[in-house]
Amino acid sequence: MHIPDGYLSPATCGIFGAVMIPIWTVASKAVKKTLNVRQVPFLAIGAAFSFVIMMFNVPIPGGSTGHAVGGVLVAILIGPWAACIAVTVALVIQALLFGDGGITAIGANCFNMAFVLPFAGYYVYTLISSGSPSGSGRRVIAAGAGAYAGICVAALCAGIEFGLQPLLYHTANGQALYCPYGLNVAVPAMVVGHLLVFGWVEVIVTALAVKYLQKQDAVFFEGGRS
Amino acid sequence: MSNPLHKRRDFIERSMLSALSFIKEATLSEEYANRKGFLQSLDPRFKTISFLAFLVTAVSLKSAALIGTLYGFCLILAFFSKIPIRKFFARTLLFIPLFSLCIVLPTLFGIVTPGEPVWSFHVSGINGIITRPGLDGAVLFVVRIATSVSLVVLLSLTTRHSELLKVLRLFGVPQIFVLTVSMCYRYLHLFATMVENIFTAVKSRVGVVSQQRHGQKIVAWNIATTWNRTTHMSEEVYMAMLSRGYTGEPRLLSEFNATPKDWLWLLCAIIICSGLFYKGYFL
Repeated sequence: MHIPDGYLSPATCGIFGAVMIPIWTVASKAVKKTLNVRQVPFLAIGAAFSFVIMMFNVPIPGGSTGHAVGGVLVAILIGPWAACIAVTVALVIQALLFGDGGITAIGANCFNMAFVLPFAGYYVYTLISSGSPSGSGRRVIAAGAGAYAGICVAALCAGIEFGLQPLLYHTANGQALYCPYGLNVAVPAMVVGHLLVFGWVEVIVTALAVKYLQKQDAVFFEGGRS
Repeated sequence: MSNPLHKRRDFIERSMLSALSFIKEATLSEEYANRKGFLQSLDPRFKTISFLAFLVTAVSLKSAALIGTLYGFCLILAFFSKIPIRKFFARTLLFIPLFSLCIVLPTLFGIVTPGEPVWSFHVSGINGIITRPGLDGAVLFVVRIATSVSLVVLLSLTTRHSELLKVLRLFGVPQIFVLTVSMCYRYLHLFATMVENIFTAVKSRVGVVSQQRHGQKIVAWNIATTWNRTTHMSEEVYMAMLSRGYTGEPRLLSEFNATPKDWLWLLCAIIICSGLFYKGYFL
């Protein structure tokens, strides 16, 4: 899901950077309103948590493993706006210090994983779980459904971003300058992989983590923070 | 002798190795940043701006030869910055560019990219044709990605991470965000160690986890426990910040000091980027 430098044109990267600026502004205002001065350590540690989630390898059928993004879990725990900032921070550190995800593509990566993924997942979770008690099984199912929806929608966005490149940026003789596959290849490649494999990794991690957290401290699910 | 099936399925071991490699990588990066090389001697602000200019140039150029020139320059910089070239290659070429090469392979063939044939072959009754546009496009794609990754890794290796994060302020990033990023980075090491310790504790009790379902439960339990610790730690960190005089308005110390050498380097970077742009777009 992390888009490296060179897959997207500078114009695409610029557009997504510009799209993210108002989102980050609204996110920081929303978080400031709800988390007060305690926001800095909470967000920083929340960001470290979302970074660490991405390091967990989950066993999947066939003896292989995959890793989750954890954006929906973070959104359920601290609210979607705070999750947007926490995942952005994690992505910035990954891009700048670990070379994972491009620096020029940071806007697109944040759009997919720090905005679309937590928000889509959070609203599916809220829709399914609304009115249910904090320790109910419906919340576990809602968390799994939200995680699945979030990562698949984010993958669809990434697929569209990739697929638009050869249509918009090519030489006079049609040679692609960036990601070489059109929408007919890029979208299915991204979406099918997430529908069949990585989406389920996200479901397992999110649903089981919510289940364990319900057992340990159900207060986490008595209303979002932002 | 260990069972290969168990070895393959031992996700605990794999997760631990993954966590450890993150920590080691970060520590190793600081090790190179502390060496007395050319890039290490530059002001982080000037170095970051120049590398961003190189990166934008690499992403914008449409000629593999020109991007290759920038890659060559990147290798020269790595050499004069005392970065072992073999390790640099291993870190920059083995993952993302290799993965990109695999992605782009089908576009070499006429069936995906029609055009002038460069080479044709016959394998098991199937005729394959590699075309000129397919080859040019694939080379451009892979060279661009290898150069971009190398530039970012070189910047990261030759700059102390705390300084690199502070440079974010240059780009108008709010102080509160920079502080959050810096704090997050510091806590990553602690979190990775915490995760490693939890896995070690689990492994010491259950040994190799060969059942997929059991493994999934352990991962989820580990994440839930890490979150519980996160919230407790957040409170403790906030109290520690208060005890040090935090009033809600973060302040970061600035230790940057520009010298004529930094200005000269920036000028060189501008000339190189302008020259490549001029050659790529106007000649």
